[in-house]
Amino acid sequence: MDDPPTAPGGPAGARTRALLIAAFTIATCGLIYELLAGTIASYLLGDSVTQFSTIIGVYLFAMGIGSYLSRYVHRDLVARFIEIEILVGLIGGLSSPVLFFAFGSISAFRVVLYAWVLATGVLVGLEIPFLLRILKDQFPLRDLVSTVLSLDYLGALAASLLFPLWLVPRVGLMRSSFVFGVLNLVVAVWMCHVFRREHGRPRLTVQAWAALALLLAGAVYADDLMERSERQLYADPVILSRTSPYQRIVLTQANGDVRLFLNGNLQFSSRDEYRYHEALVHPGLAAVAAPRQVLVLGGGDGLAVREILKDNRVEQITLVDLDPLVTDLFAAHDALAALNDHALRSPRVRVVNADAFVWLEEHAERYDFIVVDFPDPSNYSLGKLYTTTFYRRLAAHLDAGGAMAIQSTSPLAAREAFWCIVETVRAVGLHAAPYHAAIPSFGEWGFVLASSEPLRAADRYPAALRYLTPDIARSLFDFPSDMAPVPVEVNRLNNQILVQYHTDGWSRYAR
Amino acid sequence: MEPLRALIRGRLLSRRDLLRLGPFAAGALGLGCRPGAPAPAARAPGGGRISGSIVGASHRIGHRLRDGGFPEPQQTREVPVVIVGGGMAGLSAGWKLAGSGMHDFVLLELEAQPGGNARWGENAVSAYPWGAHYVPVPGAEATAVRELLDEMGMVREHGPDGEPIYDARHLCHAPQERLFFHGQWRDEISARALLDAGDTGAVAALAAFDGQVRRYSDYRDARGRRAFALPRAASTTDAEIVALDRLSMRDYFDRAGWSSERLRWYVDYCCRDDYGCTLDTTSAWAGWHYFCSRPAGAEYLTWPEGNGRIVRHYMARLAEQVRTGMLVYRLRPALDAAGAPAPDGGVEVDALDTTSDTAVRFRARHVVYALPRFTARRVIENYPPAGAPSEEFTYCPWMVANLTVDRLPDGAAWDNVLYDSPSVGYVVATHQDLRTTPGASVLTYYLPLTPPNPEVARAWMLERSWDDWVALIFADLIQAHPEIESLVSNVDVMLWGHAMIRPVPGFLWGAARRAERRHGAIRFAHSDMSGLSLFEEAQYHGVRAAEELLRALGHPHASSLPPAADT
Repeated sequence: MDDPPTAPGGPAGARTRALLIAAFTIATCGLIYELLAGTIASYLLGDSVTQFSTIIGVYLFAMGIGSYLSRYVHRDLVARFIEIEILVGLIGGLSSPVLFFAFGSISAFRVVLYAWVLATGVLVGLEIPFLLRILKDQFPLRDLVSTVLSLDYLGALAASLLFPLWLVPRVGLMRSSFVFGVLNLVVAVWMCHVFRREHGRPRLTVQAWAALALLLAGAVYADDLMERSERQLYADPVILSRTSPYQRIVLTQANGDVRLFLNGNLQFSSRDEYRYHEALVHPGLAAVAAPRQVLVLGGGDGLAVREILKDNRVEQITLVDLDPLVTDLFAAHDALAALNDHALRSPRVRVVNADAFVWLEEHAERYDFIVVDFPDPSNYSLGKLYTTTFYRRLAAHLDAGGAMAIQSTSPLAAREAFWCIVETVRAVGLHAAPYHAAIPSFGEWGFVLASSEPLRAADRYPAALRYLTPDIARSLFDFPSDMAPVPVEVNRLNNQILVQYHTDGWSRYAR
Repeated sequence: MEPLRALIRGRLLSRRDLLRLGPFAAGALGLGCRPGAPAPAARAPGGGRISGSIVGASHRIGHRLRDGGFPEPQQTREVPVVIVGGGMAGLSAGWKLAGSGMHDFVLLELEAQPGGNARWGENAVSAYPWGAHYVPVPGAEATAVRELLDEMGMVREHGPDGEPIYDARHLCHAPQERLFFHGQWRDEISARALLDAGDTGAVAALAAFDGQVRRYSDYRDARGRRAFALPRAASTTDAEIVALDRLSMRDYFDRAGWSSERLRWYVDYCCRDDYGCTLDTTSAWAGWHYFCSRPAGAEYLTWPEGNGRIVRHYMARLAEQVRTGMLVYRLRPALDAAGAPAPDGGVEVDALDTTSDTAVRFRARHVVYALPRFTARRVIENYPPAGAPSEEFTYCPWMVANLTVDRLPDGAAWDNVLYDSPSVGYVVATHQDLRTTPGASVLTYYLPLTPPNPEVARAWMLERSWDDWVALIFADLIQAHPEIESLVSNVDVMLWGHAMIRPVPGFLWGAARRAERRHGAIRFAHSDMSGLSLFEEAQYHGVRAAEELLRALGHPHASSLPPAADT
């Protein structure tokens, strides 16, 4: 019943050559798609041994399913072969964008990942049997099997060399997937042309061209606009990038170091974020006599919350962060939730997605300890969160004997900005105790401890800290002369002088 | 944009000029000259995506005053006091009466919404002003303004010297202003921001100008009065200062030899912004008043709905007295034996309830007439009295548009002004929003129509279609915001026929000062009596009239006005 590729009108040799080139391409592309899936899964989920083992296992098994299913296809083998070539190109070509997209929801990610691997495997598995059947009259069986299988393995070799040496370092994950999808489809279009008499379906040619156009557009736009720009911004591979209504969220990972960037600004590096978050939380928290109710503003990554949970005296933590995309990622995503010890799923934690300024106005609860972990005051919108008006409103939520800790940019890089925050806190009648800590990925970083009554330094910290002890904490309140106070104005809504200090300081420092 | 510049110079745009405004205008004009027939080449703004209309067409109702033909009142109400007009002067009069425990009065307002120039609108994005949109932090003389702002909860605390410290939430947040000049935004609207350091003439002129501002600001007369005070009535009457009113601001500049184009532009912009007049048509007294009546670096109190916030505060106290939709078409003061209006004889106030089209008569002992003076001769019988000096009150028309935008143009400040534009720029209604999230907003765009003859400007304005206005606005803003059309989803336009009294040379210390303060039992109260269309002046005259009334009624009250005022 099989159609022999010997219809009149062209040299059989050219067709045979086309089919063999197709076999090689499919083998190469198929393996590239699996390597892409394995790499992306390792980036996102960690544990690369497990990821690669399960993905390659599922892929080979799926190929077996494909080979088995091939027996149920009886006719129009050439057309089917081309159809499969188109499908492999489409599914494989879109694998990187789809997997990156699916990363938003971790449970969905695994489903999508294995469904994708399974689909690619089944399709690739169909192709070798088809090829053998199409070519069975051209060659003796001995030569046929030998040629097709050796091309198949040769393609796999090409893929396994190209992937680490050229694709990952030079082309990038997103673009590689598009490029190989395009390659698949170029072969499909070419086969449509060579076998135009055999398949006799103009629609197939149209489909092949349409799929090719789609992937080309993908290669040009998606990759170009979204990923390439980011790849230039970030030193490490981008494992997740999202745009919420509020910000661009980018996670990078290299050698076990996860970094979160919001609008291009580093929020933490998993290597040393414990230093930042221990310094932000514990000097203030430990000094409060009975910290039962704690409020965290900003800090949707849950890392400050993780530190607060180490203090057993704390009964409830309210986390107010603007962006549900951030708090959802850090609550539900395995790899990210692992960073904050699943703090955002603790029964002691309540997550609120709201604008801090408005939320404080609309609620009256008082807190024993407040952590203010906003992005730096680099623009007028964020600068509002460092004004007398804001601190006055915040102070109204502070219980008697309570304290608040405010992240206050770098006293070394933006000295005026740091002392401006200190003076602004003092201008609303609060006691301000400035301190600083060395965070390798940030540099020297500053904090302000604010309270209505002067605080006594604590002599006991939670046991599980890696950086702070009461003695080290005491030393953080000393400022060397290169970070010593400078005369500054108070930051108010109607002058926003802090934005100027911050911009000037950092631009001088960066120069 | 030559045609737009012509509009600055006080020349109205011809049809050809409008055509030259750009692609929008070409289409708009096709509609404009053949009403109802869409021009085939018409290009609707935003490709038809932008909605909006000309709102607030009460000038048509107002024009009934000219045409007459009102029904006779079927019922009569006795009421001690009627306030005619619910703009800032009338509401301030009501505020003073009610605040003194005198609640037995009615306030009649033509529009559905009181507030006059301080009216405001609201959509899903924000509240926004239709006119006045800020109050400068009041100086010591503006006692009534201070009292009001304190009552409104705008004062956070009083400093050790007793001076009010205003709540930073309502003081205009940074960045307050910016000026688009030669393709770039400068973060200050000032002559200094425009100065070319190499132009020695301009540097000298600016130094001399600044020196004069300081001298006039520091000026105190023998009674301790300032040269230029707010309210105006607290200003000195020294001849040297008063004489400035006879010159135009341009005359002053010419005599001083200040020829710098940029300095002149800046001062012209200030005159247009506050008075709707140009350098040529603003009296030098009014011009210097702008620069010298407020302390240097004075801040502004502002709200999303602009001075509508004050209207809301007033209305919360006057809900029972204010009746809207009431067109007062006749005031008939009782005459004494000699045929002159009797101070204590009472007044018949005839008004048309425009919602039911029925007339009602109020018999009042006293009336506060808080409408602009040009309406008086059509409303008050036998006014002006024979032999009275002619009342040369002229008013500048304004077009104000509210543009709903999906997002703010980059770097938007509160007040955004374009150099060499016929408009005085736009303000951002959401500027005081404390949220950190960017989002949609409303831009309020202000265009004073400054031709020397306001009648011509008014007629021209009323002939323009919505498309014409949108074309004009885009042609203006596109210089600074090439993307403006894509940001805008709605444009509503308000046409103010008599927006601002014009402080033309000789008016403030001439006709305005000579004008009747009182006509029998009718007391006038309007900012046009100061010659300066400012909230402070409207409130001053409203409160002044109310206090005169309280005295006449023998009602106890404490004065809200500065003691040194020259009423």
